[in-house]
Amino acid sequence: MTMKRITPIIGLSVIALLVSACGSAAPAAEPVVTPTRPATEDPLAMYMPDTVSGDIIAAGSSTVFPLSERMKQRFEEEGFTGNITIDSIGSGAGFERFCVDGDTDIANASRAIKDSEVESCRVIGREPLEFRVGTDALAVVVSSENAFVTDVTKTELALIFSTAVNWSDVRPEWPAEPILRFIPGTDSGTFDYFVEAVMAPANPGDDGKANVGKGETAILAAANLQLSEDDNVLVQGVLGSPYAVGFFGFAYYQENAETLNVLSIEGVEPTAETAENGKYPLARPLFIYSAAAILRAKPQVAGFIYFYLTNVNDEILDVGYFPASQEALDAALDAWSDAVGMQP
Amino acid sequence: MTGKSIALNGIGFPARKEGLRKRRRIGETIIQFLLFFAGSFSIFITLGIVVALGNEALPFFRNPEVNLVDFLTGTKWQPHIGAFGILPLVTSTFITSLIAMLIAIPLGMAAAIYLSEYASMKVRKTLKPILEILAGIPTIVYGYFALMFVTPLLRSIFGNNVVQIYNMASGGLVMGVLILPLIASMSEDALNAVPRSLREAAYGLGATKLEVALKVVVPAALSGIAAAIIVGISRAIGETMIVAVSVGAGPNFTFNPFAGAETMTGHIVRISGGDLSYDSIDYNSIFAIGLMLFFLTLGLNIISQRIVRRFREVYE
Repeated sequence: MTMKRITPIIGLSVIALLVSACGSAAPAAEPVVTPTRPATEDPLAMYMPDTVSGDIIAAGSSTVFPLSERMKQRFEEEGFTGNITIDSIGSGAGFERFCVDGDTDIANASRAIKDSEVESCRVIGREPLEFRVGTDALAVVVSSENAFVTDVTKTELALIFSTAVNWSDVRPEWPAEPILRFIPGTDSGTFDYFVEAVMAPANPGDDGKANVGKGETAILAAANLQLSEDDNVLVQGVLGSPYAVGFFGFAYYQENAETLNVLSIEGVEPTAETAENGKYPLARPLFIYSAAAILRAKPQVAGFIYFYLTNVNDEILDVGYFPASQEALDAALDAWSDAVGMQP
Repeated sequence: MTGKSIALNGIGFPARKEGLRKRRRIGETIIQFLLFFAGSFSIFITLGIVVALGNEALPFFRNPEVNLVDFLTGTKWQPHIGAFGILPLVTSTFITSLIAMLIAIPLGMAAAIYLSEYASMKVRKTLKPILEILAGIPTIVYGYFALMFVTPLLRSIFGNNVVQIYNMASGGLVMGVLILPLIASMSEDALNAVPRSLREAAYGLGATKLEVALKVVVPAALSGIAAAIIVGISRAIGETMIVAVSVGAGPNFTFNPFAGAETMTGHIVRISGGDLSYDSIDYNSIFAIGLMLFFLTLGLNIISQRIVRRFREVYE
């Protein structure tokens, strides 16, 4: 499965090399274009990929990872020569590195930052700045060999990922075979989101309200449970048996769409339309986080984020996610302009 | 172990020259000191590891949520929700190691006996290096070999619904292949060290080649063979990448070799891969597992030393 992931990367880097080779072969014709954005007139010029330099370090959500990775490639194709590192370690771990260790410039996240994380960020002098970059429809998937499940309710979903032992415990007409579960690890934003959206409402506390702690206990106490921060491990696991079920970001489903079936939730299939208009119950925002201080101190980070926000919609569908609303993107761009001290 | 005894002999050797007048030689003293340092270095490292592990594991055992009895007897391991029973990790470690040894001991022994007793000089010279190449393959490669080749093979034999995609059997089998050359090579050394006179005496009494090999040479080399096997078991228990890739990613208390589970080492790899926050109970728990692993292998090594001493047959 790693091979599957590596091959396109090698392919793309070969293409990138060719492109950059072509680019450097024809600089003579280029200068005509340059005067259109001279540094004196256009304040954005100092943030262009081919003018900024230095390294960029990002870490966090494995869901946002493929998107950031794509934007990184585009940024490099446009002439950025520094190093961009993106680690896929889960949203929680990403905030840990951004807010506690403070060694990253950008935190990728598939959930909004928690108050406690904002607190720890302030302790090290970083005021987290949120940029909405897209929308994910969390995909609940089974193998395409599975012919019996196509549609579940949220209540059934909570049952499938907790106390039900056999499929027949959820619906009597389903086979009496054990459910094999493959879910993202507890450090991942996808796990947190699923617990919050599905497990917590099904496991109310004493006050009758949705209880995240109880939801977490319910899903982690389930039998035949495999957890991994590596979504490809989960894909492999779900492919392994018609009685397996798992969930992860939509991009990983789309990459394996011919061998996986995605389930409809409450009768709504995850599509671009249902994710964007919020009809799909498990649609959720994707973010990248940085801080104004970092944007001012490191123009390359500011440049990358500006590039990210202005170009993300060209790539997002191809990566497997859905565009954020224009208002959300505009708000993100405004926040960026404020942070670097520029009039929008 | 062998290294140590050689070093001891080396130091003891000058004693035989006692008749000559002792003369202090600076160079000699320095070398002796360096050798002593080399010998004690590994001991200090070991002590350091124990202290470091213990230090980090202590907060785990001090945590009011944890009690030692539950830790050793509980059947659910999920630190995130306060379930701290290490048994599922221990059982899967033992099951994968057992499967590995079922492959490695018989095949390794057979290979060793063949190489030492039957193979001609020429055959041995070609075969032994090839066997040792097996031990030189990186274990991550073995891991994907288990996942991509052995698991599908098992599934085609026993059926897709019997054998899960991540399972202990394939990891164990491949681990057996990894450990086979280790056992074969060490046992072959032990068999080779048996004096030729023993074999000749047995032939003189009319024994067949098989009888000589199995009834004379193997018993004479038993201590070395036992040591090889114990080292193999320790290797199996500590093996990480193969099980991390192919055995699964969730603690599972089961004795079914075709079910997915997670060994102690595999769990440490997965949990620490997610950049755990320090001072969380999850983080401390991996040191408790590490300590457990350390004691397991330490225990095995002590047993192996006992066995070696007990069965040692000394020849002039």
